[in-house]
Amino acid sequence: MDPLRQDEFDSQACGSIAPKAKPCPRPKPGEAAGGCSFDGAQITLLPIMDAAHLVHGPIACAGNSWESRGTLSSGPSLSQYGFATDLTDSDIIFGGEKKLKDSIDYIAGRFAPPAIFVYSTCVTALIGQDMDAVCKEAADRIGIPVIPVNSPGFVGSKNLGNRLAGDALLQYVIGTGEPEPETDLGVNLIGEYNIAGEMWDIEKLMNSAGIAVTSRITGDARYKEITWAHRARVNMVVCSRALLGLAKEMESRYGIPYFEGSFYGAKETTYSLRQMAYLMNDREMERRVDRLTEREEARLSQELRPYRKLLRGKRAVLYTGGVKSWSVISALKELGVQVVGVGTNKSTEDDVRRIADRVGDDTEYIPEGGASRIIKTVRERKADIMIAGGRNMYVAMKEQIPFIDINQERHKAYAGYEGLLRLAKELTYSLANPIWKLAASPAPWDKEAPPYDR
Amino acid sequence: MTVNRRKKPASVNPMKIGQSLGAVLALQGCYRAMPLIHGSQGCSAFPKALLTRHFREPIAVQTSALQEMDVIFDANRNLEEALNLVLSKHRPDIIGIIGTELTDVAGVDYQNMLKTYKRERNMRGGLAFSVVLPDFRGSLESGFSSTVESMIDEMIQQVGHRGQRSMNTRQITLLPGSFLTPADVMELKELISSFGFEVIALPDISTSLSGHLLTGFSPLTRGGVPLDSMLQSLQSGLTIAVGGSMERPARRLHNAIGTPYKVFEGAMGLKATDELLHFLHQISGEPVPLRYCWQRENLLDSMLDAHFQFAGMSVLAALEPDHLYSVSGWLEELGVEQKALITSFETPLIAGMEREVWVGDLDDAEVLGKGADLWISNSHGIAGAQRIGAAFMPAGFPVWNELGAYMSVSVGYRGAMEWSNKAGNLLMQREADSRESSVRHR
Repeated sequence: MDPLRQDEFDSQACGSIAPKAKPCPRPKPGEAAGGCSFDGAQITLLPIMDAAHLVHGPIACAGNSWESRGTLSSGPSLSQYGFATDLTDSDIIFGGEKKLKDSIDYIAGRFAPPAIFVYSTCVTALIGQDMDAVCKEAADRIGIPVIPVNSPGFVGSKNLGNRLAGDALLQYVIGTGEPEPETDLGVNLIGEYNIAGEMWDIEKLMNSAGIAVTSRITGDARYKEITWAHRARVNMVVCSRALLGLAKEMESRYGIPYFEGSFYGAKETTYSLRQMAYLMNDREMERRVDRLTEREEARLSQELRPYRKLLRGKRAVLYTGGVKSWSVISALKELGVQVVGVGTNKSTEDDVRRIADRVGDDTEYIPEGGASRIIKTVRERKADIMIAGGRNMYVAMKEQIPFIDINQERHKAYAGYEGLLRLAKELTYSLANPIWKLAASPAPWDKEAPPYDR
Repeated sequence: MTVNRRKKPASVNPMKIGQSLGAVLALQGCYRAMPLIHGSQGCSAFPKALLTRHFREPIAVQTSALQEMDVIFDANRNLEEALNLVLSKHRPDIIGIIGTELTDVAGVDYQNMLKTYKRERNMRGGLAFSVVLPDFRGSLESGFSSTVESMIDEMIQQVGHRGQRSMNTRQITLLPGSFLTPADVMELKELISSFGFEVIALPDISTSLSGHLLTGFSPLTRGGVPLDSMLQSLQSGLTIAVGGSMERPARRLHNAIGTPYKVFEGAMGLKATDELLHFLHQISGEPVPLRYCWQRENLLDSMLDAHFQFAGMSVLAALEPDHLYSVSGWLEELGVEQKALITSFETPLIAGMEREVWVGDLDDAEVLGKGADLWISNSHGIAGAQRIGAAFMPAGFPVWNELGAYMSVSVGYRGAMEWSNKAGNLLMQREADSRESSVRHR
């Protein structure tokens, strides 16, 4: 196996446009939060719905994590199966390669998937198993792609895992297939994982503007469509932090232009659609996009009116990773919600620049520090609502702060015009809920003056 | 009778859960505690997310955040750094250092390191212990009980040399197994204390993960048994362990300081509750409180009402060993066919069961339980239950498709009644659904 951590690798995973010498900051023991590279790789690849995803390692890596990500499927569900080689003591001592080989054969024979992704874990990386060789040998034998994903947890952060997964796609998947002749070639959506079905909203929009999606990388994807991703005309990078490197590599290898965009907020959505049409170099399509976005924006602003009235002047603290930190700010601004604090711990320098463009001077940046730090900001800045990931949800509940879940475990789709309306509704419901008053008022007997002097 | 395994190389839809998660769970039941997982970031992020999802509470846990080079050169440097930070920033009363497969395979000696650390820094007053829990052995249950055992070990060492022990015969140490919900632990505490005993539950998740409203957030655990109560528990006249896996910690107390113990393996259903109450009645000399006499009648009456519903039904249960044993005992009393019993790993209790048990995963459950009417397992089983057309009843860990699952009671007469009604209702609903669809398709 190649050395797992190269500085250049790391720095790209941190998302800067030009590779820099500075690697991702090392997580601080005793104060680290968030997932590992293994988690990141799975987040990127699990949305390939018809493939089998086999975790090579002891049970915890698969057993503690399967079915915990909010990506949805419109059909096949094999990727929702939890597969693990479930190594035991003796496998570790005598090497788990035989078990891995048998597991691959078993899955291929029983489920007949179009491809099998095999994930290494800390232990299998540590004992130096030649996973690549086993996978290659298995692929030749059973006649379907068996793709090694070398992203054990201890190489680094979730983001590095996203990036390593992207590398696996580049190395083993993209360019290995050709689209059917009648396929309408258009845009690859990179780094959009169909959380809560967001991809479907986006695709509907694109279709009504006449823009075809060539490959979904990887929300609600089928293995086959990723093999022909190199035939697309444009790449849109939805989550730049994770897979920007993939788009850059595809530009240099296949000459596909790319842009970074987002679908959070009406303005960003309109911009993204326009950018697609522009890069496709199709005047007719540009006109169609203009008509569509004009119509949608008008309709949206009509429907948003009652919510805007209620939300104007409300203050929010936003704590989320990467691209969402700035793109969600745009969405909130359109609703009249002021962002008074924003997390930057997982943002790149570009992200931070974009955040700065969008927020006022009195916004506090929260570089790191987890739950206590977020709450401090909420209190000091007198925020009305906290917008963060599921891990912090119950932290907010303990402090009785209205909360909206924005990360990958959530159940609500906020992308596109429909998504902005949904976000407005959710914000309103959350803020207007009677529970905040009820929980804040004491029991009647606690209100009484003490019967005697204590 | 027999423990079987289906022959297949890979685990498909695992029900097994890493041991270290069990350790984190055990420490949530101690006040101002911090579990510190010695492994890579994911080793703590996954348990944290999963426990949060199940209990709908913030979960206290930290990690030594090992990266590749740390493992190769000196993993304990990270642990030391983590300890320094946690101690200076949060001042926890209890620290549990939880080893993972990563540290185990790499051969990191963190137990010795902790000893040196404590000696060098002259750490007194708190409780700091370590426990070896690689994920390629056991499951949640064994991780939980090993952690309690290590905790007890450390308590004994801290207090042991202070000479004579005064026994308090009116005080009982309760060792609740990992499969009990916060509401179950509460129920057991009430049950035992209704006979005039003081109860110290170790650990006590009933006051930490039951949805308390202690305002404010803390990175340490809120609620749970405080350290002084824990140490005081060494004075107890008796240990009651619930769940076969808790026998080892109970025995540890017995061997070290002579506390007699009684293990209740099953905790569900009429007979198991009878046994517990009868025992408490005998050792206390107190009559069984009226409310439990009432509850017993309520249970029997509701079982009579429900028995039409259960007639001819078959049930599949896939649960952790102790839980499976308990649930199987309750199913026996309902008179249903136990189509398949599946568990995550083999324990002496499981090996001694009179029924056939399979060690396996939820995929095995699907194959072995084909044709079952009711499927009892954690929330991972929903899809499998759907595929074989069984009604799905969430139980065990993790449960995320139901609000308040952590507050459902399964022990005592009340728990058996709640479960019987719940299972009966699910079967009734399933019958109604199939009747409706057959009408529609005619």
